[in-house]
Amino acid sequence: MRMFNCLALGAGLLATTFAVPAHAEDAKVAAIVKGLDNPFFQTMQKGIEEQAKADGVGVNVQAAANMGDATGQADKLTAMALQDYDCYLVNPISVSNLVQALVPVAQKKKPIVNIDSTIDAEQAKAAGFAVSTYIGTDNVAAGALAGEEMLKLVPKGSKVALVAGIVGDVGSNARIKGFKQAVEGKLDVVVMVSADWDREKALTAATDILAAHPDLAGFFAANDIMALGVERAVQTSGKDVKVIGLDGIVDALKSVAAGELTATVAQYPYVVGAMGVEACKLAAKGKELPANVPAPVLLINKDNAEASLKNFPRPGGDYPDPLREMLK
Amino acid sequence: MSLPADNAPASRQAGVHEESRPSLAALLIDPSFWADWASVVGLVGLVILFGVTSPVFLSVANMQAILLAAAILVVLSIGQTFVVATSGIDLSLAASVMLGAVILGLIHAAGLGIFAACVLAVLATSAIGLMNGLLITAGRIPDFVVTLGTLSGITGLGLILSGGEPTMVGSTFLLKLASGYLGPFGYPVWVAIAAVLVAHVALYHTRFGVHLLATGGQAESASALGIRTNRVKIAAYTISGFCAGIASILLVARIGSAEPQINTSLLLNSVAAVVLGGVSLFGGRASILGPAIGALMLTALVNGLTLLSVSAFYQPLAVGVIVVLAALIMRYQK
Repeated sequence: MRMFNCLALGAGLLATTFAVPAHAEDAKVAAIVKGLDNPFFQTMQKGIEEQAKADGVGVNVQAAANMGDATGQADKLTAMALQDYDCYLVNPISVSNLVQALVPVAQKKKPIVNIDSTIDAEQAKAAGFAVSTYIGTDNVAAGALAGEEMLKLVPKGSKVALVAGIVGDVGSNARIKGFKQAVEGKLDVVVMVSADWDREKALTAATDILAAHPDLAGFFAANDIMALGVERAVQTSGKDVKVIGLDGIVDALKSVAAGELTATVAQYPYVVGAMGVEACKLAAKGKELPANVPAPVLLINKDNAEASLKNFPRPGGDYPDPLREMLK
Repeated sequence: MSLPADNAPASRQAGVHEESRPSLAALLIDPSFWADWASVVGLVGLVILFGVTSPVFLSVANMQAILLAAAILVVLSIGQTFVVATSGIDLSLAASVMLGAVILGLIHAAGLGIFAACVLAVLATSAIGLMNGLLITAGRIPDFVVTLGTLSGITGLGLILSGGEPTMVGSTFLLKLASGYLGPFGYPVWVAIAAVLVAHVALYHTRFGVHLLATGGQAESASALGIRTNRVKIAAYTISGFCAGIASILLVARIGSAEPQINTSLLLNSVAAVVLGGVSLFGGRASILGPAIGALMLTALVNGLTLLSVSAFYQPLAVGVIVVLAALIMRYQK
């Protein structure tokens, strides 16, 4: 009997604690992101929640238990699809795991805002829906930004080396491609290695490359972790070689501020989440959403590293946001 | 669940209301009653709790969604139950599901047809179960070590076979399996119901079931009585592998692709469901309905917390508290 008392008490408590306040809000947003065991998605969640608060939008952010929990993520979305939300913000673990769960959402004609990882358009079409908009970072553009910065730093025709992630990784390939396109015909890419996103492997590879090419002027690494490894190798060699990374993690920002790493290209999961909420607000106002919205990538060098660190996980300065413009 | 011997005939003879009332009260203060019915009590409690706090929870659509979401876990916890009943444990269960899914995806991609793919996936996971059983019995290695080893081995095998890449499985058969309804329930729910029925009959109405519980409860006496306990154990692990294969088909159908990633929550929740279901981890005492309801309860818990907008961070905590509470209550089992 005591157990029933406890349950009843618990029910009462839960009812008072968690009942969603449904007043004074323009729209109610349901968001589902990948595993919160990864800081990237924690930052994204923070962006969603803070933007929702600023915009007066109600939000329920749910996440998969971990990065392997493809069905759990679908289950949670299914539960939320039954509730009366005005907009669904989804960052799927795989290109297809949320497709079935989104069918009832599409049937209710609620906008689906796809952020960060894409939903396979073919499978969505087969299931009878299309996402309202996609908001994410363009890896090619981010790589190109790094390439343009390298052009400013080293004399024309200098030798540079590239450090890629795991062989065949789509993200790594796109970043390298962007960098190559930006420096084509202006710099001499002497070598490209794969260091599996690993700091130690990048350090070893960079040491070897420096020995083989004593006149090397710069390195581009496809993520910050590897860039920090490369930077360590450059420091040990005592040479003045520029190192540019990509991601904008805290360690890299600190290193840039301290004058070690030359520069990094920062991506902002915080902004991706926040822009998702803006898209939902636009949809609630009945505005037409653009099919594809690029999230900002910003170059961080010694000039703005301190500001970026201070504002982390938000960008250090203003950034282009087409959705914000549309809301005005 | 067995009533004391002197009560049983009395309540059978006399009018139900007159005689059973004191025994019902006695039942309610008897801790072992709560231990036996922990998962049912928990499920009813959760349904009341969430029904009161979330208007959507008790809707037909949400009930159907919970059942659909629970189907995979129900099938897996049945497999785990057979192993736990022999006082073993199958840690390789979720990894087997992953390997089954990868094999299904690869064979489908190779163009051999979806039925061949499903059959081969189930055969492969059953073979893993068989191997687990052989290593444990013939190799005389503790179950924990063997299945921990296969967990890692299968993970590697899945990565090697798939090259770490997910394979899309665009099959109309699987799409229908995942989204079609027969009567009030989706097909995966019917698969789970069928698995519960078959397993229940196998456990309670066959000689194999008796041998299984005897092997788990008193292995030495069982083998003295002529039960070939090693064979029984091998069979239990093979059944567990078979269930993993069925679960992998349901999984691929549900998410539309075969991914070389292990869903660790499936493994942990299968053990949790077995504990919630009143199955003794020391073997010899099992039920099928208990773990199935335990699986349903765990799914309903996550569903309800999601509906109430409880942060994802608190959800594993809630599951953990409930499992440990159930285990505590279980101490009062007779």
